[in-house]
Amino acid sequence: MKHWPLAVIGFLFIAAWPLMVQDVFLQRVGALVLLAAISASAWNLLGGYAGQVSVGHAVYFGAGAYASLVVYTELGWPPIAGAPIGVLVSMGISALVGTPTFRLRGHYFSMATIAAAELFRILAANWPLLGAAVGLMGPPVPRSVWDLSFLSPVPYHYLFLGVLIVLLALTWQMQRSRMGYYLAAIRGGDRAARSLGVPVLRYKLYALLLSAGFTSIAGSLYAVMVGFIDPDSALGIVISVKLLIIAALGGAGTLFGPLIGAMILIPLEETTNAMFGGGGTGITFIVYGAIIVLVARFQPGGVAAFWDKITTRRVRHVP
Amino acid sequence: MFLEARDIVKAFGAFKAVDGAELDVNEGEIIGLIGPNGAGKSTFFNCLSGDAEPTEGTIRFLDKDVTALTPEAHARLGMARTFQVPVTFEDMTVVQNVMVGAFLRHPHRVGAMRKAEEILEFTGLAHLAGSPAKSLGTPGRKRLEIARALATEPRLLLLDEALAGLTPAEVRLAIELVRRIKGLGITIVIVEHIMEVILSLAERAVVFHQGKVIASGAPRAVVDDPAVVAAYLGHHMKRVRM
Repeated sequence: MKHWPLAVIGFLFIAAWPLMVQDVFLQRVGALVLLAAISASAWNLLGGYAGQVSVGHAVYFGAGAYASLVVYTELGWPPIAGAPIGVLVSMGISALVGTPTFRLRGHYFSMATIAAAELFRILAANWPLLGAAVGLMGPPVPRSVWDLSFLSPVPYHYLFLGVLIVLLALTWQMQRSRMGYYLAAIRGGDRAARSLGVPVLRYKLYALLLSAGFTSIAGSLYAVMVGFIDPDSALGIVISVKLLIIAALGGAGTLFGPLIGAMILIPLEETTNAMFGGGGTGITFIVYGAIIVLVARFQPGGVAAFWDKITTRRVRHVP
Repeated sequence: MFLEARDIVKAFGAFKAVDGAELDVNEGEIIGLIGPNGAGKSTFFNCLSGDAEPTEGTIRFLDKDVTALTPEAHARLGMARTFQVPVTFEDMTVVQNVMVGAFLRHPHRVGAMRKAEEILEFTGLAHLAGSPAKSLGTPGRKRLEIARALATEPRLLLLDEALAGLTPAEVRLAIELVRRIKGLGITIVIVEHIMEVILSLAERAVVFHQGKVIASGAPRAVVDDPAVVAAYLGHHMKRVRM
């Protein structure tokens, strides 16, 4: 891997960010970038490496977010204790959703994932245990350090950075193993992959389980940091779309693509939100739309592919 | 029997693409499947490889009923195939493409890599190992398909028009490769349009017409068979009516 020096510099920069900037807004943006990078890297396991474009990952994000706050509201546990429960629930849902939908290809698969995620959003919006349409609140004041409730974004920054490094290390291992090759083969073509003995359905399911599990962890971290969730902020289709856009912008199916995408999109989004206040939501969608059009038209491989293109010699065509 | 297909029917609605075809293959042979376009060769071939399940009939491979098994199960049992239009894994390198096949018997990266390198050497692709697979032209892609299939260490290799679209010089190189594959003790069934290939490679030719096997035997004798000539060139003119 030729980009290691660049990656090390990037990580040192990210690690030093909260120390370099004293402004709380900028520190908060840094933590949100890392959270988005975790979510999009998790999405990338299925959508990037295996090429199965899910537009329903909000359901796994929501499972993690809700699990965290439900253990607090119902049992009085620290919200982070809900994270493993969220992972289990997500894996359960993914097995339930994945088994039938993986028989669909391309757009049909993506559409089925939207439908499944919307179902869960409507379910949460009508279930009193989950706070229905109002949503759930975390502990208003920290009862102990285990509530992970801090005024400053800095502790979250380092917590998220740790999780991101673990996730990327796992992804790197996966990419080099048989599973990485099998997922790339599945992305290249189901039929050819199967003829070489790749159990396609099984490996798609493995990728989904991993992807859903880490997306759920991202959801739990979000709930822990923000301390308030409702069906739209934790389960809305915007979340699914956002994960996809971040990964595609940076480079789907590459190790650092989602992180790069998050480093571009989140500051942009936070700035427009801050500049335009409550109306910022609309501007955000315009930005998303513009990015989809630009990436699809000019560089489907995202920033990572663009970088490769400008740093490597032209590909020589051989017979 | 190494491979036997009995009374194979593959129907798409009312249309029977394959209609009662039979095939016996002995270990170590090269068998050529020929026939005019639309004769049902490719459909029959897909039934053999597990890509399509026959509507009727049974296929036994190494004395095991494989009729309803998935393509990946066929691969595990030792059957590998190539596709008429090569399906290259575009965003991988040449050696990585071959490693996908090698991982079937070598679950670890180092073992798969070693196997893939050995196969690239054998198929004459070693100098392209690190090139992006998408940089290959048609002959390279066809050769890569064969390499990838060989990496699964098959006992039976099914080649679906692996030589179509090649120049005469490339065809000769490919024929030489197929001979060397046979030299490894691998049985080969090849679907081919180019008569030269069948005549020079196959020990036995099986002719398809309208979903049925109409002739089988030594390639030279088969191509002179009046029924085969009629299937390719049509019957006598007076039978054509407006």
